Amino acid sequence: MKTKSTAPAARRRGLSEIERKKRIFAYSMIAPVILIFGFVRILPIFQNFLYSFFHSSIGNPLEKFLGLANFTDLFKDHLFILSLRNTTFFALFVTFFSVIFAVLLAVMLSSPTRGGAFYETVYFLPVITPMVPVAVVWKWIYDPTYGLLNYILSWFGVAPVGWLVFPDTAMIAIIIMSVWKIVGYNMIIFLVGIRDIPESYLEAARIDGANTLQVFRRITLPLLRPIMLFVLVISTINSYNVFTQVFIMTSGPQGAPGNAVRTIVFDIYENAFRYFRTGYAAAEAVVLFLIILALTLTQFGISGSRERRERSRLKRKGASA
Amino acid sequence: MVKRVGIVFVALMVLTGMLFAGGSSEAKGKETLSVWCGYPEMEAFYKHAAEEYKKLHPNVEFNIVTHPLREFEQKLSATIPSNTVADIIDVSVYANQKFIEAGFIPRMPEKVGSFVNAPGRYSDFARKNNSYKGVMYGVPFFQGRTALFYNTDMFAEAGLSGPPKTMAEMYEYAKKLARRDGAGNLTRSGHSLRLSGQGSGVAEKWWFVLYPMGGTILKEGKTPGTYHAGYNNDGGRNALKYYVDAVHKDKWDDHKIKHDAEAFQLGLTAMFFRESWVIGDTAKKAPNLKFKTALVPRDARWGRITNIQNLYVTKAAKNPDLAWDFVLFMVNDANQKWMLDNVGWLPARMDVDLKEIIARKPQFEAFVATAPDYEEFGYIPIGPFDELATRLAERLVAAFMDASLANNPAGIAKVIADAAEETNQILKRSNFYGE
Repeated sequence: MKTKSTAPAARRRGLSEIERKKRIFAYSMIAPVILIFGFVRILPIFQNFLYSFFHSSIGNPLEKFLGLANFTDLFKDHLFILSLRNTTFFALFVTFFSVIFAVLLAVMLSSPTRGGAFYETVYFLPVITPMVPVAVVWKWIYDPTYGLLNYILSWFGVAPVGWLVFPDTAMIAIIIMSVWKIVGYNMIIFLVGIRDIPESYLEAARIDGANTLQVFRRITLPLLRPIMLFVLVISTINSYNVFTQVFIMTSGPQGAPGNAVRTIVFDIYENAFRYFRTGYAAAEAVVLFLIILALTLTQFGISGSRERRERSRLKRKGASA
Repeated sequence: MVKRVGIVFVALMVLTGMLFAGGSSEAKGKETLSVWCGYPEMEAFYKHAAEEYKKLHPNVEFNIVTHPLREFEQKLSATIPSNTVADIIDVSVYANQKFIEAGFIPRMPEKVGSFVNAPGRYSDFARKNNSYKGVMYGVPFFQGRTALFYNTDMFAEAGLSGPPKTMAEMYEYAKKLARRDGAGNLTRSGHSLRLSGQGSGVAEKWWFVLYPMGGTILKEGKTPGTYHAGYNNDGGRNALKYYVDAVHKDKWDDHKIKHDAEAFQLGLTAMFFRESWVIGDTAKKAPNLKFKTALVPRDARWGRITNIQNLYVTKAAKNPDLAWDFVLFMVNDANQKWMLDNVGWLPARMDVDLKEIIARKPQFEAFVATAPDYEEFGYIPIGPFDELATRLAERLVAAFMDASLANNPAGIAKVIADAAEETNQILKRSNFYGE
């Protein structure tokens, strides 16, 4: 026990002069990056927490201490409640469909076929295209008068649909566009995971008589679980932070009705940068942070408990054998 | 090794120093003015003014940037508090008022003040609506006055000889002018109303109908400088009913068809309300379109919105005297005329003779014409105006879509009352509320 606790100290004492200098050099090289990261990323988070307890004005974010008043006001604000509901709806559907489609595409592209790389590129292209031009293009596609989508639908006798102008369709339209944008990223992650599964596992299953679906359900999917967790967490975080596409698609006289697709970050943006209610917007950001944190921890928790169950099942199986 | 690194470091420092020294000596005597504007069509004017100014001051360079209005407002929000904004900004009082109240915009110098306050130079309305605590911070530049644009070919085809004179007449004309395809889809709106979109624009356009009907967005309280919602009345309810009936009852406008200037230029609407810039824009985009303009029709009263656009010199200006000099240059007689003739925005100055341009382009007439009882109204110069107008716009957008409001006076009254309650709450929170 004693040996264990003194081991690091002994190792430090045992460092050669060259090793010590190397470490000093390494730390001094990392320090500016750490300092800049702390200043531009970590400090603002703490500042945001601080501002959320204050009434603010332009140039004076700490004008008057309010305690929890900003938070209590939030839950009386119909626009915040609406934003919360819309964002949750958006995140749920975007995460669900982007994961489902990504898994399907990854499975289809995982077997070596001719043109596989081409299709991977095609599906990944939306990911690397910046969101603003993509949102503008989709706004044109959804245009009720001259939009490509309505034009194609007209071949089948469908009357023009105001995709972005009606609350019933506006959110669905933005979800479709967002799934299209993110699915390539999720697909690549799953593809890496699938290609990492040893071929011998799949072969063994096939020799045992498993069909394609059974191989997928019993071998591929369980082995993809850590990747699945990563994709779910990233997709949920990204979906809760949705802003650009909502902002672009609601602008202009033919834009989507603001409240029908109002999301939390959009509401934060309006309060902070249009109305300069910085403290109130900071409180919204804190709530968003807590929601994402809770969801992420839940996802980790679910995945962890599954793994624990799996391990104990295997243990029991081993013992009985 | 250390010695070699040291030598390289010193050499780099010396080189950098030489570069900076060289740069500053080269830049000696040169001045650069940056100008930002929220109206892309104004870029031509700024370039023209800059070229003319450079003839008189060859040492001055210009950096002119224009953005669509909403993006421009966002840019101001980020750059004015951080003092990284341009030297000169071209912005309306409603977007800039919050910065003026917070002390971010400097007052104009005495020389500029005496130019602005010269008798007959600007209307009393322009002075009043651009003052904060009795002081003007920006030089009125151009004005967004509203008039009715109407397509004369479509009017003739519908057997209408002239523009509508009343709101009721405008409604009937719109019914006659709307066109549908065999399936009943609207292919041409009778009157393009602003039914959707971001920001306060929807509320502003609704105001065009609201004001003649006897309502307004904010009404001054008993104590000067305090306000309350001015639309929780018959005017507000009738104005909302006008829109709801247009979309859900008589269906001469809908959400799916194109709107605004684009619709007018494409022949997808017969009439709409807008500012004079549409004349310049249409000359470029639809030169063969036959149209005229008219005063806004009357109802319980008669009037048009006038939104003054000002030129402000910011605290970020490195040479404020030069910036103010260029501002005064931009509002001289020749440049004010050039702006109307080439861009279409109506000059804010009252003492510039525009007769020759109006004779050549008679569509401008409705923007300068007036009548004894034709009122001017506009944005109230208080910080929270943008927020309360945007909140009202969001409620209106939802109401315009709500088919259950057709033939439903109680529903309309509730929408108006709830919106007014929110307006009053924002005023109370900002200490501007007064009965």
